[in-house]
Amino acid sequence: MDLREDSVGDITVLEVKGRIDSTTAPTFGEKLTGTLATPDKRLVLDLRQLEYISSAGFRVLLLAAKRAEEAGSHFVLCSISGKVRQLFDLGGFLDLFSISASREEGIAALR
Amino acid sequence: MSFVEVSITNRLHDLTHVTQTVDQLAATHGLTPDIVADMNIALDEVLSNIIRHGYSDDRVHKIQIRLTADDDVLQAEIEDDGKPFNPLTTPPPDLTGSLRERAIGGLGIHFVKNLMSEVAYSFIKNRNRLVLKKHLTRREADARGPA
Repeated sequence: MDLREDSVGDITVLEVKGRIDSTTAPTFGEKLTGTLATPDKRLVLDLRQLEYISSAGFRVLLLAAKRAEEAGSHFVLCSISGKVRQLFDLGGFLDLFSISASREEGIAALR
Repeated sequence: MSFVEVSITNRLHDLTHVTQTVDQLAATHGLTPDIVADMNIALDEVLSNIIRHGYSDDRVHKIQIRLTADDDVLQAEIEDDGKPFNPLTTPPPDLTGSLRERAIGGLGIHFVKNLMSEVAYSFIKNRNRLVLKKHLTRREADARGPA
């Protein structure tokens, strides 16, 4: 798994490439919750290049979303398709998170 | 028919050996990314469960994984000497509710049951044995092309 961080104005875009599983979820979690710990943070999590995500990864996403709510931060997920969309659907997560079709729409949603 | 066996210890970082083995088998057998994803996720869920909850001591234990692939099925057999645990008897998780209400327990096994075509459990001679089967569709077989 590779993580890449970009800034678009005052919005942070975190791109995940590869696989989120039991081995990589801790690193992903540290980065995500660390970024969202800043109050009023606005973050787009771009999953376009994510191959798959196991329950360990969804645990991280759930925790991050709860932390963001507490810290008054906002984050949206974007570019969920194919296998990754199937997994979100299977876990009942499609309605739980804010999801945008593309990175641009995600950024627009946070402005 | 391809056959490969990998042994790991009950340490989470050992799981990378398993994904590498699945990837290698998939490459030699021409399996699609979707099939590889399903098997890797299922193995991650099963093995991380065994490593986290399967043992009541701190000793090093060996977990064996046998992978086979033929024209129709990709199969994984997992054997461990942990506490008896039949994942097929666990209740389905509650997938409704708000962010605050959602718990993650049971999601891994829910994934395994839904991503695999067949799951079979037995407990023989003090060992858990779980067999995961993923049926390869016609499209899969066609994508593989001539051997």
